[in-house]
Amino acid sequence: MTTRPSPVITPETGESTDVDLPWQVIVWNDPVNTMAYVVYVFRKLFGYDVEKATKLMLEVHFEGRSRVSDGSREKAEIDCFRLHGHGLWATMEQ
Amino acid sequence: MSRGRFRYKSGKIVVELPKEEREFLSDVLELLSSIPSSGDDPATRRLQVPVYLDDPEANSEWWLFMGEELSIARSADRDVYQRVMDSEKRITLTTEEADAFLRVLNEGRLALGARFGLEVEADHDQLPEEQRQVLDYLGWTLEEMTVALSAAL
Repeated sequence: MTTRPSPVITPETGESTDVDLPWQVIVWNDPVNTMAYVVYVFRKLFGYDVEKATKLMLEVHFEGRSRVSDGSREKAEIDCFRLHGHGLWATMEQ
Repeated sequence: MSRGRFRYKSGKIVVELPKEEREFLSDVLELLSSIPSSGDDPATRRLQVPVYLDDPEANSEWWLFMGEELSIARSADRDVYQRVMDSEKRITLTTEEADAFLRVLNEGRLALGARFGLEVEADHDQLPEEQRQVLDYLGWTLEEMTVALSAAL
């Protein structure tokens, strides 16, 4: 005899689910990547102008991390892929 | 004043590397091919840093799928780099090819830095002179190519 699992009933809480929250892509400081290279990568991958790319690079350098993009989980995973492809340490969080 | 080794010209990157520099830079490919795909080698760990910090399962899944794509892309980049090493003194690259060259150079520098034990910027000054010179030379080369490619953006 097959026992079918009971359906799980999730109570309505009125709170948004994780799916609703955008994912953030974070780039972390490291002791090897050069400042000019990091600015170049931000400009090339995200189309940022020099000022914005430099501001993000300086955040990485002085604060240890910077949020460089956000969006859906799929977009964040692809952004991480492109950043890792250029040797930058990128993580994603919600 | 001598011209730069990497120049942006008419949508392309002109590379002029003396033979002795190409021979030295070829070592980057040997270094990268020596890095195991898994394990505790510092270079392996640096090139496979986690994407999900708080979710080991999601991280493993990302590296399972994206990591393979990354390996394929890195291998294609190294083919371009090898072509530059095999060329005569002067070679003209598309910006995509130059970008591939730049990524390999940076990957090699990251791997070396990890094996040299660099954890913070200040560690650089404590390295033995020979290690510091190698990193600085690669950094100088990387910077020149970065400047040339930035002109194309």
